[in-house]
Amino acid sequence: MDHLSTALNHAQSMGAEYADIRIQKTTRETIFLMDLSLKNTSRNVEHGYGIRVMKNGAWGFAHSNIFSNDEVKKTVEKAVKVAELSAKIKKGKGLTLAHERGYIDSYSTKIQIDPFKVPLSEKVDLMLEVNKTLLNYSKIKRAFFMLDMLNDDKYFASTLGSVIHSNTYYINPMISATAVNDKDSQTRSFDEGGYGAGWEHVLKMNLVQKAVQIAEEAIIKLEADEPGEIRRRDLILDPNHLGLTMHESVGHPTELDRVLKWEADYAGVSFATPEKLKKYRYGSEIVNFVGDNTLSFGLATAGYDDDGVPGQKWYIIKDGILNEYGTTRDTAPFIGENMSRGCNRATYYYDFPINRIPNLYLEPGKKLLSPQELIADTEDGIYIEGRGSFSIDQHRVNFQFGGDMFWEIKNGKKVRPLKDVLYKSCNPEFWNSCDAICDARYWKDFGVTNCGKGQPPQTARMTHGAATARFKKIRVGGSK
Amino acid sequence: MTDKQFQKAAKFIENNCSADDFSLFMYRSDETATRYAQNMITQNMTGVKYGVRLNVAYGTQTGSARINSLDECELKKMVETAQNIAKLNKPDPEFVPSTSKAKIPKTDNLSENTVKFSMKEMVDVIKKTVDNAEKKKAFVSGIVTKRVTDSYLKNKNGFEGFDSSSEFENSMTMADNKTREAKVERSVKDVNDYSIKKEIDQLNSRFDALTEPKKIEAGQYNVILRPQAVINFFSFLLYFFDRKNADYGVSAFHNSIGKNMFGKNFSLISSLDEKDLTASAFSGDGLAARNIDWIKNGVVKELFTNRSYAHKIKAEPNFIPNVIIRGGNATEEEMMKKVKNGLIINNFWYIRTVSMRKNEVTGLTRDGIYYFENGKIKHSVNNLRFNEVLHDAAKNILLLGKEDNIAAGTKVPTMLIKDFTFADTTSF
Repeated sequence: MDHLSTALNHAQSMGAEYADIRIQKTTRETIFLMDLSLKNTSRNVEHGYGIRVMKNGAWGFAHSNIFSNDEVKKTVEKAVKVAELSAKIKKGKGLTLAHERGYIDSYSTKIQIDPFKVPLSEKVDLMLEVNKTLLNYSKIKRAFFMLDMLNDDKYFASTLGSVIHSNTYYINPMISATAVNDKDSQTRSFDEGGYGAGWEHVLKMNLVQKAVQIAEEAIIKLEADEPGEIRRRDLILDPNHLGLTMHESVGHPTELDRVLKWEADYAGVSFATPEKLKKYRYGSEIVNFVGDNTLSFGLATAGYDDDGVPGQKWYIIKDGILNEYGTTRDTAPFIGENMSRGCNRATYYYDFPINRIPNLYLEPGKKLLSPQELIADTEDGIYIEGRGSFSIDQHRVNFQFGGDMFWEIKNGKKVRPLKDVLYKSCNPEFWNSCDAICDARYWKDFGVTNCGKGQPPQTARMTHGAATARFKKIRVGGSK
Repeated sequence: MTDKQFQKAAKFIENNCSADDFSLFMYRSDETATRYAQNMITQNMTGVKYGVRLNVAYGTQTGSARINSLDECELKKMVETAQNIAKLNKPDPEFVPSTSKAKIPKTDNLSENTVKFSMKEMVDVIKKTVDNAEKKKAFVSGIVTKRVTDSYLKNKNGFEGFDSSSEFENSMTMADNKTREAKVERSVKDVNDYSIKKEIDQLNSRFDALTEPKKIEAGQYNVILRPQAVINFFSFLLYFFDRKNADYGVSAFHNSIGKNMFGKNFSLISSLDEKDLTASAFSGDGLAARNIDWIKNGVVKELFTNRSYAHKIKAEPNFIPNVIIRGGNATEEEMMKKVKNGLIINNFWYIRTVSMRKNEVTGLTRDGIYYFENGKIKHSVNNLRFNEVLHDAAKNILLLGKEDNIAAGTKVPTMLIKDFTFADTTSF
């Protein structure tokens, strides 16, 4: 705790207008089983601190992994020097920060069984059983199982008076099976994208049963027909698939740093510009997207963000209209907002925090509706489960998405499996074509632990959620 | 960091490690990165990162641990963690012992000029970039990065390697408030080989050539792919290049070795003989680098083969020390005259696999796309989505330009390719 006050006092004595220090220890255990070979069983630790100062309206950031008061002071001095250099290239008076106050608080992910304390043999036995189950099918030639567990133990302190401790976890088992015949290879995966929980989450999953399902469906895909020429059909998308669809076409376009073109050189910008706020019809009237960094088990739920702003819940799209962005303390003032929505996050201690997608979900439909009833109500469509090939332009308008499992729907029934299905759509066509969302009984959350953004690149995590939904007359078919 | 400091830490680890086999990898990376956007600096960061990774084995039971410190207490804990994992782990049926002593090729990956390049000089580079954008009433965004990395590998069976490398990189995107958006990016080993004037001139040239884009529809077009587009597109080959996936029928490379799959104009190699290019001298699992023809004049010669699979099939293992796609001598003007019309593509974006078995990928154009006709650029066009098979595109190469060192370890040419498949148009 000494280091926290040393850093802040020294930064203030050097004329910093604002400073914070983030001491972060990230522990990650990864077990990677390829077929029946344990390719990697590792425990990795990144431990250090990052010091961020604002001076003369510009940011400076320096990091170190040496824990002594002298080194902390040297790191502050580097950060201040960097800020002074940054201030030579700024607009007007430079950056300002949205209002915030100090907090003394702590937050922990609610885990029942610490995944790092579960015996290795229990984890590896389960993984081997899963991959043996997959490889028991003669057409399954490759079996993949990655078990990824992470703990972030973080102290944050700022010159606003905040001292915040957070201790967050996630766990993510990812399994895939690849079936091969003379003409083709097809992969089917089980990947829920990570969950803010402990080992108890894995125990509830019945992964051996899931392995049977994905092996059989990989083989079904192998023998399935391709969808043929691209034509307009209805799409019914399951919650897992929708998780990545909303991530790409709603989450990223509503990050304020993209809107401000701060990511123009790499990750891209956004079509959802500020003059569209409160009036742009992003989706149909039943489309409501909520940013919620208080979501139970959410991957972006950490109590506070790396600006020291508390987790919040707000409408990003309300009744189909663009309502608000995900913001940070340094971006919010550019659109006249005096408070941040708390979306600033860094990956490791040595990363500078950047504007990130919050936990973001599509609210369930208000009328009682099941996926079976939705299929029964569809004459000509395709039902897509899971995540596949995803690609979207750098303005977040035009996209082509695939999936993991596909079923043709004719006259209210799933009539046959398909493979290699792609659909092409754009904003705002896609979310405006949403005419039905199943009710809250079918809402489910899915994680993303590898959201790449920033220069140098960082990966962030967040949770998305949805109930199965239908999109009318979308262009769907084969690849060309 | 010197090899002696690494060796001291290695000695400590070796003295504390009781495993039958071990492999130790350490690095130190001193990095400063300054980001700018909309003509102002938005992030500026500096610091040194360390990494120490230890793989151990008892028999065929393996374990691994990684920390970011050379502190001896932490190193001791790391050794215990890796050993405990290995002792509790199941045997790995594909385990291979660590490599033995090998002659590591000499590489010249470090430039003192880059080491000495200061943070102030980095900001000066950005100042020139921003001044240029303001003169053009435009906005520039990007990142200037300087990175100096030392790496060291030692294992139980005698392999020991040390390497130092440097990299300076500037990536800049200039846009106006309408539709014009152009980018240039380059990384070099020696900062003295980087000319900000030359890069700004190229950025201006690309930016000035942009007009209000005219709408074009999806279809097959002749394309001139500039180097950044070439590497972003063909680098996907490296994802599909795994020998085991090929042998098991998972990828398009099934039964491909020795066959002309890519056409005579396509050669992809790794070479330690290119003085202007960096190359990894050794891999993280203890292989010394060597020159490799992956694809020569269209014929698949060698696929990526890791040590355990190489052992199983009795092949020589390999890794990818750097990437060179062989070029020719054609200029862009000659390429434009070679075909009646076509598109010049500066860059691709968000490329993803459509089908590994078909070698098919999708992605979009970005950072400027121009329509040319009768040997001249006529106007900009809207961005397009491609769905294309990598080896089909390679077979359709008509002309190759000179190789361009677009990154410290990457050299590729501009290419003229006929009938490139764009599956969709976009709205901008």
